[in-house]
Amino acid sequence: MTKPAQPGHAADTDTALFERSGAAAYGISAERFASILDEILRKHFSQTQSAVHNLTRPSPRASSEQKANFCAGLRLEELALARACAAGNEQAWHDFISRYRQKLHSMALHITRDAAHAAELADSLFADLYGVNVNAREDLRKSKLLSYTGRGSLEGWLRTVMAQEFINRYRKQKRTVSLEEQTEEGVQFAAAVPDPACASDPRLEVATDEALAELSSEDRFTLASYYLDGRTLAEIAAALGLHESSVSRRLDRLATALRKRILAGLRTQGMSHAQAAEALEADVRDLHLNLRSRLTQDSAPTTFPGSRKIPARDAADGSTD
Amino acid sequence: MTEVPKIVYDRLRAAGKAGALPDAALPASEHPDADLLTAFAEQTLSAAERDSMLEHMALCGDCREVIALALPAADIAAVPIAAETEADRTTPVLAKTERSWVTLAGWPKLGWPSLRWAALGAGVVVVASLLLMHPGKLNQAMLPSANRQVTPVQPVSGAQMASSAAPSSPITTSPMEQAAISAKTNKLQPNKQLARKSSSRAVEAGERLKSSQTPSVETFEVAATAVSPLITPEPSTEQTLMAQNEAPPVVKTKPPLQDTAGQGAEAKNTEADDQQRSLVSKLSGGGAMSVAKLAPTATQALAQHNVAWTITGGVLQRSLDGGQSWQEALHPNHPLLCYAPYGKDIWVGGQAGTLFHSADGGLTWAQVQASTKGQQLTSDVTHIQLQGSPLHGNNQLGNTSRPAQIVLSTSNNDVWSSIDGGTTWERK
Repeated sequence: MTKPAQPGHAADTDTALFERSGAAAYGISAERFASILDEILRKHFSQTQSAVHNLTRPSPRASSEQKANFCAGLRLEELALARACAAGNEQAWHDFISRYRQKLHSMALHITRDAAHAAELADSLFADLYGVNVNAREDLRKSKLLSYTGRGSLEGWLRTVMAQEFINRYRKQKRTVSLEEQTEEGVQFAAAVPDPACASDPRLEVATDEALAELSSEDRFTLASYYLDGRTLAEIAAALGLHESSVSRRLDRLATALRKRILAGLRTQGMSHAQAAEALEADVRDLHLNLRSRLTQDSAPTTFPGSRKIPARDAADGSTD
Repeated sequence: MTEVPKIVYDRLRAAGKAGALPDAALPASEHPDADLLTAFAEQTLSAAERDSMLEHMALCGDCREVIALALPAADIAAVPIAAETEADRTTPVLAKTERSWVTLAGWPKLGWPSLRWAALGAGVVVVASLLLMHPGKLNQAMLPSANRQVTPVQPVSGAQMASSAAPSSPITTSPMEQAAISAKTNKLQPNKQLARKSSSRAVEAGERLKSSQTPSVETFEVAATAVSPLITPEPSTEQTLMAQNEAPPVVKTKPPLQDTAGQGAEAKNTEADDQQRSLVSKLSGGGAMSVAKLAPTATQALAQHNVAWTITGGVLQRSLDGGQSWQEALHPNHPLLCYAPYGKDIWVGGQAGTLFHSADGGLTWAQVQASTKGQQLTSDVTHIQLQGSPLHGNNQLGNTSRPAQIVLSTSNNDVWSSIDGGTTWERK
């Protein structure tokens, strides 16, 4: 598919990419565009190599092929627009605003589901994109658009950035809740969150961890999204690029396989079939409740402490009779 | 959808906590940047990159949340997002899974509950159409119960049998209503042919009722009234023969308490221990009751014997004492469906082209294979009509009369006719 690299081929490719991007319209020179691509390539391949440890270092020739393939998959036009905006090109900003202003507001509304918060979020993102509040000390304007590399669509990137911004804001708000608000919301009187790490059978935990570790990362992502995050099948399917029914079938299959695998793991640890099934069916939330200790505590008579001393154990036994 | 064990929730959560970063603001350096997250959501990552992203996101709830929030609204447009996410987080997982892939697929009207009823409806339609197209098959189903239930019928005079039962209840069933109406309109022309047509309509109505499975006593009485006008006020010299195409297993006829004409017969089912069976028998008896008038020339001979015919469970029964006792007259391999007496000349038709003829009042039978131009009659014979003025003469069996034309109606809507006593046939 990709032709072998030849002398002058890289330069030809760069020229073709430059023409394809339309960066010239925004006042970006071919050299500048080539340096942007180089920067993106370096970042990508350093990430890939750090992420995939066992890959051997690609040969220079293979690397140039990979680079060509990689560049061919980039959203060059949107990359040029973003970088031109970051550089302050007016035409680029005009295009950007006309293309994305309305979309940004609907995205914000989609994420926040509240008009006031949506306007606030969109304005904040615009400020970030323009680079108002970055590096004020050095009097440098650094647009967030500089971090866009064209791997995905600019619109999708904007959505992602906005979602990140939304989560950051939510976190900040959560941290800066005033003492009065906490009191009003009853946080101070809330029951202590039980430690989830206690009380369940360690063998069950081991077996479950082993069973989960055997799953593929996509399967674990699906399980976590569905059972922990409460995502709908449609959301998971959209995130994974699958059909909803595929996700539904996968969840079914995973639930069955996990149960089977955990049972097998419990049996290898010396449990009988019945014991394993019982342990698996036990609700871990129930296990946190230590009935005996609660009974002992509740029935200890403290009203007349001086009249008669009853050992806690006797009181517990009496209460259970 | 199968539910995962609760320990799986627990360990997934624990793994997320162990693997997640401290409660820090995004983006942290360990999280994939917005570019990679976008590319992941848009499925443009290479396989290796995608795997490493999934590995991270399986543990990182923050990144999963970013991905979910950043999904374009169109991708999950089938779900009303606000309601969906809120409802999903507050409802149990099982409830969500039951609803999920039917309603989310955008086919809310075609969920399994709806399809289940649709399937049931389709099944009912198929069964009903089969029953309508092959009415004779019912006889096979009724054969075992019907055969052991032939009970004597009280002696009644021919005049009594010919008279009608007073209509005693409102007509509620439309097929029966049609039959009754047609019968009443034919009352002014009480000739044999119209009587047969009407009775055949009554038979069809009875079949439809059976297939619709709404038996009631009223319908039986209505059926009786539907037939009755055909056999009313005739000269006393003319005897009538009550014939039942698909006779009820237990049918007793008795004079009615209030009979305006002085002659009447009210059919009533006397067996109450088997309600299901008796309801069916009422229906079949009511709907299938047909009356044939004998030719004046044959009346006298037959009046001495008071011969009555009936088909019960696909078997032809004959009574020589006016219905007090019944004997099996003909029991071929295939269930019989219809018959037509013409003096001593009896024609009986049944399933799979079964056709029998007796010229001596049922003492001897000859199977007739109707065929024309190499084609044999193989479909069910649903109706036999003997037409024309009787031809007087002697045949080899010593009959004194025989019909001018024999017309057979079959289940595939063919009409076969013979004008020479069944020797040659013509198909229309």
